[in-house]
Parts: sequence; C-alpha cells; structure tokens
Amino acid sequence: MSMFNRNEKEVNVSSPSGDKPREFTPAPVTGAAVKPATPSVQPVVDAGVSKSSGPSVISKALKITGQLESSEDIRIDGEVDGDIHGVSVTVGAGAKVKGSVYGQTVELAGTIEGKIEAKKVILTGTAHMTGDVIHQDIRIESGAYIDGHCRPGSNRADGKMADARKPN
Amino acid sequence: MDLFKSHLSKALVVKGDLETDGEVHIHGRVLGQVCADRLVVGSSGYLEGDVIARDVRIEGRMAGRIFALNVTLDSAADVTGRIFHNTITVAKGARIDARMPWRPPSYFETLETLPEARQ
Repeated sequence: MSMFNRNEKEVNVSSPSGDKPREFTPAPVTGAAVKPATPSVQPVVDAGVSKSSGPSVISKALKITGQLESSEDIRIDGEVDGDIHGVSVTVGAGAKVKGSVYGQTVELAGTIEGKIEAKKVILTGTAHMTGDVIHQDIRIESGAYIDGHCRPGSNRADGKMADARKPN
Repeated sequence: MDLFKSHLSKALVVKGDLETDGEVHIHGRVLGQVCADRLVVGSSGYLEGDVIARDVRIEGRMAGRIFALNVTLDSAADVTGRIFHNTITVAKGARIDARMPWRPPSYFETLETLPEARQ
C-alpha cells in the first residue's frame, strides 16, 4: 500500500508538465497523466536498490540456516547456522555464527562456535570464539575470548589457503 | 547502511534458508526458502525456493512459489512457479511461467499455518 502512495508522489514530482493544481483536474486527465508516467516510476524505485557488486552484508535482522559461499567479501551482523566461505569475512559485534568460517582474512568481533580457517585472523576485544583457529597470521586483542586451539596452518593443509588469490 | 537491510552480492551463493524481519536484496544465488518483510531479486540474482514476504520485487530469475501481498515483476523478470498475491504488477517483457492465484489480505497474515505454505 505504502508503495503506491510513494509512486503517486513520484509521479507528481517527476512529471515534466508539473502543474501544481493537477490533483484538482478532472479524472480522465489525471488518468492520462499517470499512465505514461508509470514506466518512469520504476527507475526511481530502482534507485533505492543496492548495486549487485560489492561486499555481501548479512544484516542484524537476518538469520541464515545453510551454507554461504562467495568469491568476494562477506560481512555478517546477523546469525548464520552453517559454514561460510569468503575472501574477507567480517563477523561484527553481536553477530553469531555456528559453523566453520573459511577465508583469506577473518575478522571476528562477534561469536563463532565452530572453526576459523584463514590466512589472517583478527580477534577483536569483543570476540567470542569457541573452537579451533587455524591461521598463518593472527592478532588477538585484549578482551577476546577463545576456547580452542590456535594453530598455524600450512598452505597445503587447506585448499582455500593454497588458492591464495590475494597475497596478504 | 540500513540495519535491517541485507545485501547478498553477485558473487555469493547461499544454500539454505533466509529469515528476517527486514529487507533482503539478492544479487547472487539462493537455493532455499526466504522469509522477509521485503525481498528484491536483482537482475543478476537467482532464487530457487519459496518466498514468504510482504513485498516482493523480481528483476532477475526465480523458480518457486511466492507468497506476498504485493508482487512486482520487472521487465527482466523470469519467474517459474506460483505467485500467491493480493496485488501484482507485471512489466512488459517479463517472462512468467506461473499460476497467479489471488488471495485476500487476511490470507497473508496467517501464512505460516497454511498448508500451501508448509509443504
């Protein structure tokens, strides 16, 4: 419903022959004015649509049950129940992941219950990590919680690491 | 950025279900069910599975059932399945191979309990 209201507003604004008293013109004239303007409304709606490239963002309100795989960056602020494969994976404060996280770089400020396997791992002060961390380069800030092993992984042990597209 | 807006980029493949009170934009591939307030499948997006939402906008490809109060199919849309809707807008050029049953608004309020949605 609100969408239609929005459209009406857009029609009034974007119509080139924008006479102010259009609302008071007789019905047939209004109908004629609205119809040709309808296609031009859609790009206006598209303007609010985010572009297809760039990092994926799993917002605070989103819960995913299943696997995520991307050849680009992923930012998680919501909840994921499953494995995540990305290039640079950021798990924001308040986010929760149950599963393994693979990537070139993994930055954790939220909670992971599972495993991290990445070339570069950053655990910030609010990180809560339950499970093993396999890394080549790790930074742990004061306040981070870890319940698990931190061990260096070789390039060979992990296919994802061997596939290094971006050297760190 | 909007706190309740999720963006799944072109490069992302999700095999599983998505559940949110907010908005989801799919530009990659999703194989699974989506529950959202508003769903947008972008022109490069592909969704295979059922959708339960208030508003649905398809600019890309989708296979499955849509349960939504308001449905908008863009000119580049390619939809297969069923579209349960209250209001629908279809742009010229959209490719639809689907039944489009109309439902009253009350149907969408009790959606989780419906046998059609459960299956």
